[in-house]
Amino acid sequence: MSNLDLRSILKCVRCGTCRSVCPIFEQTGWESASSRGRMLVAHGIYHGLEADQDVLNSLNTCTTCGLCEQMCPSGASPTQIVQNARHHLVLKGKMTDSQAALRDEATSKGNPLGETRYRHAWLKNASDIKEHAPYVFFVGCLGSYRYPELTRRTFDLLKKFDVTLIPEEVCCGSPLLRTGSDPDFLISKNLEQIKKIGAHTIITGCAGCYTTLRNDYPDGLKVLHVSEFLAERLSEMNLKRLDIKVTYHDPCHLGRCNGVFDAPRKIITSICELKEMKTHHQQSRCCGAGGGVLKGYPDLSLALSKKRLEEIPEGVDYLVTSCPLCRTNLQRGGPKVEVIDILDLLEMAMK
Amino acid sequence: MLNVDLIEKMRKIVGKENLSISSCELYCYSSDASQIRGVPEVVIKPLSTAQVSEIIKIAYAHNISVTARGAGTGLSGGCVPLEGGIVLDMSAMNRIVEMDFDNLQVVVEPGIVQEKLNKALEPYGFFFPPDPGSSAMCTLGGLIANNGSGMRSVKYGTTRSYVLGLEVVMADGEIVRTGSKTMKSVAGYSLTDLMVGSEGTLGIITQAIIKVRAIPKDRSVIFASFDNPELAGKAVVKVLASGIVPSACEILDSNIIRAINTYDPKIGLPLAGAILLFEVDGSEAEVKEGVNLIVKTCEGLASGIRTASDKKERDEIWAARRLAGAAISRLDPMRTRVYVGEDVGVPIKEIPKMLRKVDEISKEFNLPIMTYGHIGDGNLHTGMCIDMLSDEDWMKLNAAADRIHRTAIAMGGTTTAEHGVGSARSEYMRLELGNALDIMIAIKKALDPKGILNPGKMGV
Repeated sequence: MSNLDLRSILKCVRCGTCRSVCPIFEQTGWESASSRGRMLVAHGIYHGLEADQDVLNSLNTCTTCGLCEQMCPSGASPTQIVQNARHHLVLKGKMTDSQAALRDEATSKGNPLGETRYRHAWLKNASDIKEHAPYVFFVGCLGSYRYPELTRRTFDLLKKFDVTLIPEEVCCGSPLLRTGSDPDFLISKNLEQIKKIGAHTIITGCAGCYTTLRNDYPDGLKVLHVSEFLAERLSEMNLKRLDIKVTYHDPCHLGRCNGVFDAPRKIITSICELKEMKTHHQQSRCCGAGGGVLKGYPDLSLALSKKRLEEIPEGVDYLVTSCPLCRTNLQRGGPKVEVIDILDLLEMAMK
Repeated sequence: MLNVDLIEKMRKIVGKENLSISSCELYCYSSDASQIRGVPEVVIKPLSTAQVSEIIKIAYAHNISVTARGAGTGLSGGCVPLEGGIVLDMSAMNRIVEMDFDNLQVVVEPGIVQEKLNKALEPYGFFFPPDPGSSAMCTLGGLIANNGSGMRSVKYGTTRSYVLGLEVVMADGEIVRTGSKTMKSVAGYSLTDLMVGSEGTLGIITQAIIKVRAIPKDRSVIFASFDNPELAGKAVVKVLASGIVPSACEILDSNIIRAINTYDPKIGLPLAGAILLFEVDGSEAEVKEGVNLIVKTCEGLASGIRTASDKKERDEIWAARRLAGAAISRLDPMRTRVYVGEDVGVPIKEIPKMLRKVDEISKEFNLPIMTYGHIGDGNLHTGMCIDMLSDEDWMKLNAAADRIHRTAIAMGGTTTAEHGVGSARSEYMRLELGNALDIMIAIKKALDPKGILNPGKMGV
C-alpha cells in the first residue's frame, strides 16, 4: 500500500466540483469516470475493492489533464492519486492490455511506439552530435518517429545555439509514469548520457517529455520547452510579420501543470495575431490524448479532441500547439483548420 | 428482491448503456458529500418520464427500494441508498423542455445543472436565483427535492419560491402533474409544495415548471470587517431591520478568510475577526441607496468597510465564497473538512447568540469550528476539519455536531436550513418537529405504502 496514501485520498470531500470540469465524465456521465469517482475507487482499492476491468477502466480513462486539481477547492491531487493507484495495481500485475503494451514496447525497444529504427534517423549529419555542449535537445519518441521532418528543422535551428543531442536517447519515461509502470531504467539511461555531455539545460518540444524531465528526473537540471528557449532569442532570428490569425492550444502538461503559458504566446504574437480558444491558460480543455487514454481508449480520446476543436475561434488560419501528442490527437478530430507546431509557425516567419 | 430477470427487464427499458451493476460503479454511487454510506444493487440512468415510470412499476411490484440522485453533491446522505436497491441517476434527463419567457417560466428536466440552466437563460436576460455553493454541478432535481437555496435566498427566497408545477412519478409508477403554469392557483392542496423538499421519499421528480426572474441591471458588493463574529451578527440584525433587502448577506469568520485567501491569493481579504459580504442588486439608483444605507448602518460596529471595485472583483469573491466550504481543507494538510452538523438555522434575532454558542462549543471540545454562511437568513455553516484517521477527532466532531444541533433547536431554530435532512439529521426530527412528524409519517404511508422510496430518510 506504500504508494497509495490514505490521507491524500481522504483529502477529497466528494463535493463534486470535478463533475463540472472533468472532460471524460462529461463524455460518459458515469460517476466512475469523474475524478471524485476515481478517488473513491482508489479508496476502495485500499479497502480491498477487487481490481476488475471496470476498476481499471475508471482509473485508466483519466488523461491526467489536471483540470480537476486546478479547480479542486479542498486541495486534493486526483491526478497523482490516479497515477499512484495505477502503479499500485501494476505492481500486483493488474493492468489493461494497453498499459502492458506501452510498458513492454518501452522496455524492449526504448520507445512506446514499438519502433526498432535508429532514433536519430532524421539527422542528416551525424557530426552534429557533439560530445560536450551546454544544451541538449531531448527529441522525444513522437518527434523522432512521427514528426522527423519537424524535428530536423527544429534541430537545424537549435544547433546554432550550441545545442546537441543525446546519442542514444530513449523514451523519457512519461508514458510509463502516467500509466503506472516503472520508468527508472529509461531515466537512468538518459541521465547518464546527459551527464557525460555536461549539459546544464535540456530543451524539449513535447509537453509530456517536459513535465517528466522537469518533475520526475532528479533535481539540478534545467528544463526548457523549445518555445521558452526560442522566445528569448527572437531578436536573433530575423522574423517577418505574417498577415494571418492563429489560435493556440495549451498542452495540459506544459501549461496548467507547469505554468508555461507566456513563451509560446510571445512567439506567436511577435509573428501574427493570436485569437484565444474558448478556454485557455489554466482553464484549457484537454486534447484527450494524455495519460494513456489515446492508446487505451481511442474513441473516448477522439470525442475529447472533437470537443476541443469546437473551441477554435472563428476566422483563424491555423491551430498552433506545442506538443506532438496534442497535435496528433487534434489532427485525428478533423479540425476545420490545419494543426501546426509552434516551430512550423516560426519557420513560416523566417522564410 | 432484485434478481437477474428483473435487472434484464430494466436493462431493456433503459438500454444496456444506461444500467450498471459493476461493483466499481456501485461503489462510486455509495456516497454523496456526507459521511453516510450505502451501496446500491443497480444504478440506472433513465432518459424519460416513461422509463422512470416503468422502472418504478417493477420496483413497486417487487418491493425494491428506489433512491433518486442528481449530481450527488448533497451533504446529508439524501441520495445514498441505505437499503441497497435501485439508484436512479437522473443526471441524463437534463433537457430544457420549453422556454416560455412571456410567462416568465421554463420547463426543465431534473438533471439539468443549475449553472447550465443559468447560462442558457442569460442571453434572454433571465436567471434562476437559488445559487448554492454547488451551483456549477448540482442539478435542479436535487435542488427541488431538498428545497435548496444559497447566498441569494435572503432576497430571492429558496427553490420553493420558483417551482410552479411538477411532474412526479409516484411510488406505484403513476405519473402525476402538480401545480400549473399560472402564477397563482389555489385549486386543491399544494402538492407541489409537498413534493419540494421531500427528498425523494414521496415521488420521483421528472419535470418541473420553473419561474425565472429578470437579471437585475446593477449590483454592488460591500466588504465590512469586524473584530469578532458577534459584532458582525449585530450588524446583520440592524441592517435587515433598516428596510434594505440585500441580495446576499454572508459571514466569514477569521479561519474562512484564511481559507479563501489560500484558495485564491488574488482575493486578499483583510484578516479581520469576521467579514460580512453584502450584495445589493436592482436599478442603479436602488443599488446606490442600498449601499449607502448598509455603510451607514454598519458604522460604529464595523472596523472597516469598502465596496468591491468592479465586476471582476465581485465575481472572484463570490466564486471563492462558493467553494469556501471545501477550501477549509486547505488550511492543514493533515485535516479534511467533514460535513457534519453544518447547516443550522436560527431566528434572525438569535444570530449573535448562536455565534457565541458555537464559539463556546468549539472551546469546550477543543475543536476549531469555522463559521460562514447565509447569515442574512440566520443560516450558519459550521465547518469542522479533522484528521480523518483519528478516532478521537471523530468522537469530538460528532459530539460537537450534536451539541450544535440541539443548541439551534433550543433557540427555536432548525438543524437544517438548506442542505436537507437525509439520514444525517433524521434522528433530530422528533425533537425539532414534535408531533408534526406523525403527520409526515402518515403522508409517507399514504403515498408510499410499501416504503420503497428512499427508505430511512427524514425520520419517516
